[in-house]
Amino acid sequence: MMVVKKRLVFGFACLLAVSGCRGYKYGHIVKDSKPDMVGSHSAGSEVYTPLIEESVAKLLGACETSPAANMLGPDGLPQARKVCFVGVENKSSEELGDFKEQIYELIDTQINRSQAFEAISRRMVDSGLMETRLRPDQLLVPDNMQLFTAVMQRSGQPVDYLLFAKLTSGTTERNSSSQRDYLLTLELVDTRTGAYTKEQATIRKGYHKSPLGKLANYSLFPAGR
Amino acid sequence: MCDPQASRLRWPLRLATGAVWGNPFAMKNQKSLRLRVLQLKALRISALRIAAPSGLKLLWLCLFILACGCSTHAQRLMSPRQAFYSNQLDQAHTQLAKLNTKPKGDESVVELDLALVELLRGDAASAEQRLRKVRDQWDHLEQTSLAEKATSLLTDDQRVQYSGEDYEKLLIRVFLTLSSLMQDGIDAESYSLQALMKQQDMRIRAQEKWGKEIPESYCVPPVAPYLRGVLREATFSNYDDAARAYQQTLQLMPDTPFLLRDLERVTTGVHSAPGHGVVYVIAMVGRGPYKEETEQRATQEALFIADRILSAVGKYSVPPTLAPIKIPQIVSPAKPFEVVGVELNGIPVSTTVPLTDLQQLAEDSYAAKLPDLMARTVARRVIKKGAVYAAKGQLEATSPMTSLALDAAGVLWEATESADTRCWGLLPREIQILRLELPAGTHQLNLEPVTRGRPVANKAGCLVDVVDGRNTYVLSYWPDLRPIGEILVSGSR
Repeated sequence: MMVVKKRLVFGFACLLAVSGCRGYKYGHIVKDSKPDMVGSHSAGSEVYTPLIEESVAKLLGACETSPAANMLGPDGLPQARKVCFVGVENKSSEELGDFKEQIYELIDTQINRSQAFEAISRRMVDSGLMETRLRPDQLLVPDNMQLFTAVMQRSGQPVDYLLFAKLTSGTTERNSSSQRDYLLTLELVDTRTGAYTKEQATIRKGYHKSPLGKLANYSLFPAGR
Repeated sequence: MCDPQASRLRWPLRLATGAVWGNPFAMKNQKSLRLRVLQLKALRISALRIAAPSGLKLLWLCLFILACGCSTHAQRLMSPRQAFYSNQLDQAHTQLAKLNTKPKGDESVVELDLALVELLRGDAASAEQRLRKVRDQWDHLEQTSLAEKATSLLTDDQRVQYSGEDYEKLLIRVFLTLSSLMQDGIDAESYSLQALMKQQDMRIRAQEKWGKEIPESYCVPPVAPYLRGVLREATFSNYDDAARAYQQTLQLMPDTPFLLRDLERVTTGVHSAPGHGVVYVIAMVGRGPYKEETEQRATQEALFIADRILSAVGKYSVPPTLAPIKIPQIVSPAKPFEVVGVELNGIPVSTTVPLTDLQQLAEDSYAAKLPDLMARTVARRVIKKGAVYAAKGQLEATSPMTSLALDAAGVLWEATESADTRCWGLLPREIQILRLELPAGTHQLNLEPVTRGRPVANKAGCLVDVVDGRNTYVLSYWPDLRPIGEILVSGSR
């Protein structure tokens, strides 16, 4: 009996020692093969990365087949078109936080990697906006677009296309669960003709207050009930 | 009459008969309550006089000595803070640095005071480093330590490492943003974002802990989202972020004209006209909130009654609640003046506008955690009384002298408690702001304290280089009628 009591006391002491002290924070590198962590309160890498990949791929694919893709340079070779990525506009219900800059960089890099397009440096774009004192959403007005492209041209950065990215969201509530649809829209505007190409990618995500929320809303009682 | 056992029995007997007390639950009106308090005091004094004069007098002497001997955090920091408010920054720094070498569980708040002194001495880099250190330390301390909690139940809250009040945690990030802006501003956006993310995190935790009555705006200093908006607007391409931030600030301060103008500008306009830059005059006005020790008389009386009842019905007596129950309270001196008037090249242009009331923030934060604080304080007393009771059981302390000795020890133990008055005491009472759009070039800016539209003290000046399309920040601290240290201008070093 005494042995059992001593063991119990020892076990309790061990438990207290483990749970009773403040721990440290630890970090680890997530391998490419591992899936992203899924945010519990808002969207994160698990939403934005696939959205960007899909929308940019769609946009580049659409531009490959457009007549403007056949622009040739003086040497007769296909010429890379200069794209000015104006920025990401967040119209979703969530604060993008530190993801906004990352979304910009990811889209910018993916466009630059394609053979058909060449993105203008962001610093040049910001400098052009500052010099013209134009808002990104004012650039679609013909006079403003002309002014902006002229300033960029003067800086040695002729602009063939303006690229706008917009993130929106739509939320469906059901008791203590909700589903949020994230939509990333990329709009490529030809500065010469004003014609535009628009591509989108969407991801739906469910938020639940209980671990059984997913099961209850999407398996046991699916939509329409 | 001098038998302590007899005195132990006297109070409960009277209680039981209701001859003196009446039915406590039936006392509804204020008059009967006051009468009850008077009865309690009279009874206690007479009981102390009658019961054991020599023993209890000794006990009172010990209590007096203890009360005089225990110094709180507020007392420890009195001298450096006085030096700071007398504009003797070097002396304040030396004294605080000395205190930092002998910390008494208040090293983080001493570090924060040091950071503020360094910031106002013009050493923003060092201030930023200290603020970062405390931010990380407090984040680490958010994890619960059962060992510390157990120790604090046996002693007092000062035995727990100080992890900051919620409003202080956010203000660290605000001051990190300001420190960064006073240098190259490279981390300012990150700090401003951290402040908002931290608030969300704290709000969710507060709602989980204290219920849904905790508002969405829990502890947000309006200056935090405002600074975020200012920084995003200055990028010329993130007006949507700026609009969100100003909208959030506006929700905290509805119908504030300058915020409505800011929101209008980022919705339809641009940062500044061509050839112009923007100067933000940020003034910290008044002495900020700090904590003082106060006694909870009502709780003490209630516990006193409860322990007398327990003593009556139990086998042994429990130590009477003679030592006062001490908790901190938020205090803030009045503002020395209303706003800071700004003169541009000798011409008065405008005044700053209050953006964040730190007294209000501190009170809101304190009110949210007060029930927890009181519960801990009462639990601590109960545990101490329980420990003495258990000791009496172990020792089988049936003799009156042993019982009295243990009760005296128990009272002494309870009297060692002090309120936790640790806080970031050098904060200002209010953060005020003014936005000025000025032509690029050098301008002379004079700042002066203003009350009811009239200057109330001498002005202090600085030169500001306005850069086309850029923001410049002017930071000053006015605890009284003159600024402390330097008026800091970003990009001037």
